[in-house]
Amino acid sequence: MVPSRRMLMQGAASAGLLASAPFVISAQAQTAVPRAQQLRCVMHADLASLDPIATTASITAYHGALIYDTLFGHDEASVARPQMVSEHSVSPDGLVHSFTLRPGLKFHDGQDVQAKDAVASVKRWGARDGAGQHLFRNVAEVAASDARSFTIKLNKPYPLLVDWLGKSSPSLCFIMRESDASTDPARPITEAVGSGPYMFNRAESRTGAQYVYDRNPNYQPRSELVSAMAGGKVARMQRIVFQNMPDEQTAISALLAGEIDFIERVAPELQDQLRGNTRIRTEVLNKTGSIGWLRMNTLQAPFNNVKARQAMLHLIDQKAVMQATFGDPNHFKACGSLFGCGTTMENDANTAWFKGGQNIARAAALFREAGYAGQPVLIMQQTTSPVLSNASLLIAQWLRQAGVNVELAPLDWAGIVARRARKGPVAEGGWSIFLTWASGEAYNNPITLAGHAATGESGWFGWPEDARHEQLRDAWAAAPDLAARQRIARDMQENAWNFVPHVYLGQWFATAAMRADVRGMIGLPDLVPFWNVSRG
Amino acid sequence: MVAYVLRRIGSTILVMVLVSLLVFLLLRLAPGDPAAVLAGDNASAEQIATLRRLLGLDDPLPVQFLSWLWAVAQGNLGASLYSAEPVTLLMSQRAEATLSLALATLTVAVPLAIVMGVTAAHRAGTGTDRVLMLFAVAGFSLPAFVVGYLLVYLLAIQAGVLPVQGYQPIAEGIGGWAAHLVLPAITLGLIYTALIARITRATMLETLSEDFIRTARAKGLPMRRVLLVHALRNAGVPIVTVIGIGVALLIGGVVVTETVFNIPGVGRLVVDAIARRDYPVIQGVILVCSGIYVLLNLLTDLSYTLIDPRIRY
Repeated sequence: MVPSRRMLMQGAASAGLLASAPFVISAQAQTAVPRAQQLRCVMHADLASLDPIATTASITAYHGALIYDTLFGHDEASVARPQMVSEHSVSPDGLVHSFTLRPGLKFHDGQDVQAKDAVASVKRWGARDGAGQHLFRNVAEVAASDARSFTIKLNKPYPLLVDWLGKSSPSLCFIMRESDASTDPARPITEAVGSGPYMFNRAESRTGAQYVYDRNPNYQPRSELVSAMAGGKVARMQRIVFQNMPDEQTAISALLAGEIDFIERVAPELQDQLRGNTRIRTEVLNKTGSIGWLRMNTLQAPFNNVKARQAMLHLIDQKAVMQATFGDPNHFKACGSLFGCGTTMENDANTAWFKGGQNIARAAALFREAGYAGQPVLIMQQTTSPVLSNASLLIAQWLRQAGVNVELAPLDWAGIVARRARKGPVAEGGWSIFLTWASGEAYNNPITLAGHAATGESGWFGWPEDARHEQLRDAWAAAPDLAARQRIARDMQENAWNFVPHVYLGQWFATAAMRADVRGMIGLPDLVPFWNVSRG
Repeated sequence: MVAYVLRRIGSTILVMVLVSLLVFLLLRLAPGDPAAVLAGDNASAEQIATLRRLLGLDDPLPVQFLSWLWAVAQGNLGASLYSAEPVTLLMSQRAEATLSLALATLTVAVPLAIVMGVTAAHRAGTGTDRVLMLFAVAGFSLPAFVVGYLLVYLLAIQAGVLPVQGYQPIAEGIGGWAAHLVLPAITLGLIYTALIARITRATMLETLSEDFIRTARAKGLPMRRVLLVHALRNAGVPIVTVIGIGVALLIGGVVVTETVFNIPGVGRLVVDAIARRDYPVIQGVILVCSGIYVLLNLLTDLSYTLIDPRIRY
């Protein structure tokens, strides 16, 4: 049979109608929220996973902060304040912490938040998070006492327990339904039902494109004024939308045209387009910024020799690294503290190398003292991050000037995270150096940040090992107050810059841009929360 | 004819299996670990290893491939390693945007290109021909992101007459749907207009030199009829072939335009999946796209019989 033109036309029309049917139905099911009641935001990454415990990705923590609540929350002075908890008491021996949940807390599916949910959530978080794992080494039991009360029994007092339960760096101790929290913490949950100020609107979200959060009408904010993660989380906007917009220029254009309201991070080279525009406001929300760091494979030559690692301290000019990407010195600074700058643990112990500035001749001498014999040093160059890619090029050049045989291996992030797990030498597919970054505040906590550990091969990539460092980390967690922790932090830094677990690339401060009528953004180091935000 | 179509459909399945195997192997050979990406930067090697096991990424490659193929044979393209959503759902959410963009682009490009090509051939060697072909060369030469950004700046930001970015489903209003497609369709349409116009001109020039055209003109037929009925129809096979290839390219090759205009289409779905090594999504999208390519080729071949009755299968 030869198909006629009419048959072909009819077939094409029918196929088109059939293909469009699902879209018509799904679009009709959507609810209309006035544009003035929406806050449309372009965040730094796509929301790849919905489970803020299984992944430490910041964007998933943002998602978690919208839909889940926490037992405690840190206020602007970094003091943990009750959030879901109404009463908290500690036994005289410091071994039993008792908690009572606020009355009337409800999950988005209508179930009451009960102590059993909190117990399961704390356990799941404790199995996964660095701080939680450290805490749980001392936990004897977590159990519900009644519908709203539960206890955490310890083997020995743990002064930071409440701080950890309220910490605001990933992974936060979010309270989930028992059914979600009872799952394997390694396997990401795909449900997104919490008791927080916003509810995840799955029907209008599109994976990879946009994620929609609607105000939780049943949320009961605390009566205290909001202060960082503490106090009343008042959802002033009816809807928050995360729009995944990979092209930064498009995001700027959309902000200028009023199609979006907020960009979390604006690339320095694009900020000129916003300057002088009265409809746009820029602000640095994260006052401790981000810090780039360089990890060395301490299991293989040359960085299995401490002298070679010390050489890297003298080799890197942080200002030059930052300048290569950020240009304007207002966007960055050099930092010699193990705990980041502008943080509570910042100190200047053992930073003569930093104060002395870049010294390539000294670095070359230290490589010679390390017995460096021309082995290839492979830098995994992350091509998808301008700052890390540029830093790789500079460091490669400086290493060559110091007489080191350098290879650059350009990789995307997925390639780097796969290769960095290899512990062997470069000739067997291993690596010598990789670069990454974390929020400045993350470095402030020697327990939470995995890279602060020096536990050898069981630790984080690079696998530095130092018994003294580990003793100091334990002592830091057991210290009774901030002053004691600061003293230990100084000792820790004194020791760390001798064995050199890693090297810093500089600290930079991302600028957020928003429409001028956006009010009430809360500046936090590790999170962008959207309660308290309004427009107009 | 029926036997020919059945044979071609049979070969389509074979092509899809081969493409699947090739993509599967390439993805596994490329460096990257979805479990490490999913777990986050702060995750330990042990946590990543546990996640790999839970996701089934530790199974031997033949086991992974055959279990995936078996699921596909049952109509199941698998689920995203990240969101756990079915690949078919992810694709269906993106298909409308990509198909709309392709349709809008072709609606702009094909008529314009054919008019340009026919006019240029008819006026070959004149100023009109040169201007039209200059436009065609410019269409080839200007990268989509340059044209896109310029159009956004002029028409969306400065003039404020069109949206900067995004996509509005047709069910939410045909006006908004069309408004969101104008700039991307012009951006993407430029290169297709240039391509089809040049092919049309070349084919028409050849046809216009044939004896039957001279005969038609000698009979006193109006030039318009000679061009559109006699010449264009006889020049149709190569033009339709190029349009067919263009449609296939539009389905999967619109990543830059989708990115510049933030259109949540299939192209961006697969690019994002590649960056994360979301294997089931990549494999599913490429499998479906390869099937569409082959079927479009088949439809193009079948359309020859309508243009040229001498062609039989």
